[in-house]
Amino acid sequence: MSTETQYLQDIADSDYEWGWTTDVEADTAPVGLTEDTVRFISAKKEEPEWMLEWRLKAFRHFMTLLEENDNYPQWPHLEYEVPDFQAISYYSAPKKKAKYDSLDEVDPELLDTFDRLGIPLGEQKRLAGVAVDAVIDSVSVATTFKEELAEQGIIFCSMGEAIENHPELVREYLGSVVPYTDNFYAALNSAVFSDGSFCYIPKGVRCPMELSTYFRINAAGTGQFERTLIVAEDDSYVSYLEGCTAPMREEHQLHAAVVEIVAKDNAEVKYSTIQNWYPGSKDGKGGVYNFVTKRGICQGDDSKISWTQLETGSAITWKYPSVILKGDRSVGEFYSVAFTKGHQQADTGTKMIHLGKDTKSTIISKGISGGRSNNSYRGLVKINKGAENARNFSQCDSMLLGDRCGAHTFPYIETGNQTAQVEHEATTTKVGEDQLFYCAQRGIGEDEAIKLIVNGFCQEILAHLPMEFAVEAKKLLSIELEGSVG
Amino acid sequence: MATPTLPPTVDAPVEQVDAAARYVEAFEMHDGTLLNGTNARLQGLRREAIERFEALGFPHRKAEAWKYTNITRTINRGYDLFLGQPEPDVTDADVAAERIPELDAHTVVLVNGRFDSERSTIGELPEGVRILPLAKAVEAEAELFDQHFAQYASFEDEVFTALNTAFVHDGVFVYVPERVALETPLHVINLVAADDDLLVQPRLLIVVEDGAQFKMVQTARSLGDGKTFTNVVTEAYVGRGAHVDIYEVQEDDAQASQVTTLQAHQKDDSVFRTSAFTFGGDVIRNNLNILPNGNHCESHLYGLFLGHGTTHIDSHTFVDHAQPDCFSNELYKGILDDQSTGVFNGKVLVRQDAQRINAYQSNKSIVLTETAQMYSKPELEIYADDVQCSHGATSGQLDDEGIFYLRSRGLSEERARAIMLMAFARDVVDTINIEPLRELVDQKLTARFRR
Repeated sequence: MSTETQYLQDIADSDYEWGWTTDVEADTAPVGLTEDTVRFISAKKEEPEWMLEWRLKAFRHFMTLLEENDNYPQWPHLEYEVPDFQAISYYSAPKKKAKYDSLDEVDPELLDTFDRLGIPLGEQKRLAGVAVDAVIDSVSVATTFKEELAEQGIIFCSMGEAIENHPELVREYLGSVVPYTDNFYAALNSAVFSDGSFCYIPKGVRCPMELSTYFRINAAGTGQFERTLIVAEDDSYVSYLEGCTAPMREEHQLHAAVVEIVAKDNAEVKYSTIQNWYPGSKDGKGGVYNFVTKRGICQGDDSKISWTQLETGSAITWKYPSVILKGDRSVGEFYSVAFTKGHQQADTGTKMIHLGKDTKSTIISKGISGGRSNNSYRGLVKINKGAENARNFSQCDSMLLGDRCGAHTFPYIETGNQTAQVEHEATTTKVGEDQLFYCAQRGIGEDEAIKLIVNGFCQEILAHLPMEFAVEAKKLLSIELEGSVG
Repeated sequence: MATPTLPPTVDAPVEQVDAAARYVEAFEMHDGTLLNGTNARLQGLRREAIERFEALGFPHRKAEAWKYTNITRTINRGYDLFLGQPEPDVTDADVAAERIPELDAHTVVLVNGRFDSERSTIGELPEGVRILPLAKAVEAEAELFDQHFAQYASFEDEVFTALNTAFVHDGVFVYVPERVALETPLHVINLVAADDDLLVQPRLLIVVEDGAQFKMVQTARSLGDGKTFTNVVTEAYVGRGAHVDIYEVQEDDAQASQVTTLQAHQKDDSVFRTSAFTFGGDVIRNNLNILPNGNHCESHLYGLFLGHGTTHIDSHTFVDHAQPDCFSNELYKGILDDQSTGVFNGKVLVRQDAQRINAYQSNKSIVLTETAQMYSKPELEIYADDVQCSHGATSGQLDDEGIFYLRSRGLSEERARAIMLMAFARDVVDTINIEPLRELVDQKLTARFRR
């Protein structure tokens, strides 16, 4: 096993030894979930009354779900211990204290990994937990970005700020795509969400930059129950990137985020995710539980929502970015690479709900499993009665990198209209001997050859990521692959 | 002798009826009397099965395996349990109508799940071959019976298999000894005759030893006006290098609901084929489980289902590749008309170390109306890396260009559609290796598509 991989493991292990203990600080909610916890969070965030009421409604619903064991989602192909919801602290203020004073104190191998990923210096500091000087480039860049966005009327701020400054928008859209009754973790998130991002693109505006860039610089410390809301008015466009290729130091084991997207007439939203959270130790202990509800609604005619994801981290992933195709001629897309190794388990996929006429959806999912991991694709394509001429194409390919891992495909196809055309295909293979031989002939060693082949396997997905991230994503995959092929 | 019935359900509103409890009560009522048996092991099994049945209960829609099929309405009817002696309201003409023209076959007639020896016509059998009523085989072939019965169709997680096992009374027992080819197929005619609602639970046990060959055709028909529910379990043991073909034709009887379970257990180098043709019914659920438990097994699973009216047809298949170097191929096609619903849920499991498996799965369906529905769930669950597995599912309507092509050559629209549908069904029909049966299915399809 190469030093990088070893290092990534080590750094993660060491971090988490202390990462999950609950510090009893003034800004931390007491362990457990009661109505008081929700009031505490709301008060901490100085929220208006209506927001508190909204949270409490969700909380009461969640408690009814919690009462009966039946309500816990059992259907994913995952094995893990259900978290004890009364043993978790639901709020802690983002840590502001730096761990190191300068980069010189940071482990040089971590810095090496950052270099290999091509992460700028300023960001390296933030990621490594170094105190960031207020005048370094990134912050001033952020300020410039903020002005540029404001000029166009784009609102992009934390959810907390949005609740304070744009309550009318938040009230209208929050929970409109993922209501608190949607599922177990959506209810929990609605009750105790910590913070997140709010993004509003006014009519006719094409967002001049990848919001990803901005996000990477500013979005640290949003906490474990993130809530994101993106509203794209008529004829607008936005591309948004969440997450980061660098190994994330997350402090919580349970992550339950909710992302909602609303696209009006002729609007387009592109949402990309790179997730590389702590996957647990080599023998499968610990690791982040990543239970996410992501859903967009193509509310207007001719609108489009596109999800692209690269999932390499977390011990357990449970995530189905979905699109409700309500507007006529609307388009939904899902492009995904899920890579699991060690003892990781991923049950991920999408839902495409066709309601409008002439709606189209495309699903391309690539799963790669190594080690003792399990990687499942689970996707629903539903063509409703009124969805005339709906089209769907799904392709799910799995690649196995060892004989102790699992690759699974669970598609659900529900057709309720005779004009619908739905196609699904899936294959499962391993890296071909002939492919390796071909590379060996040309002097490419086995490790390099496998990287090449896996990168080729994922190429059509990575091509959908914003350019700079596509490059990083490829490097990330290469690093992850090291030592995972036995 | 009066037919014993389930405890009455008259006044209870449907939702409140605990159907499962009624069956348990009926079991206790008749255990040791009508459900007697001199075979101690069978007694024990029955008891285990009813306990398992009680623990499992009938499936509700939250159960993943029953996600798209609501069986509640079907099981909540107050069926008669046909535990007494047969008083068949069946005529020779009824049986004759079910025979397949031109087919030379050994024929077994089951009336309400009972082996009707008078109407069954079993020709001369090669030495050692047995075709017996299951009720007789319990004693006459006690050793074989004990060795194979309930060894393959597990009732641990299958509530309908548990129910069938608890109430097992009769059916068919087939034994084909080593290296014997039974050239003439066996035709099992399942007649269900009832003026009141009736539950029948036939059981088939087929043991085909190493190197032997066996073909079977099963057809089912409901006579009378009662709502019928058939819960049939078939266990097939396919020895080393043996070849077994099982065909099933389910007729279009609007009052008939069926849950069928076919469990095949294959040994090394064996070949198992099955094709199921469903023409209609009320609620139909076909469970097909195959365990190729040896190297170099071949398994072929084919199905064609035609829904019309409010028919609900659910095909549930499971291929459990537990051993390396096997091949399985699966093709299910559906045509759904009116308000009918089709479900296909196929699973291929490749277990750890079951290397070099080639497994293919395909489900294609045509939805003809706005009110018909198709749910497809083809699954792959794979734990070995040196495999070639794929699945595909499509759902769509008839190709307009194809219809146009035929119409431009002077065919009426109806005729053009019939030809297109026939062409769609063709590759499943062609999997039938018994000529007269293929003819019969062909005719039924032609008649259906011309409607």
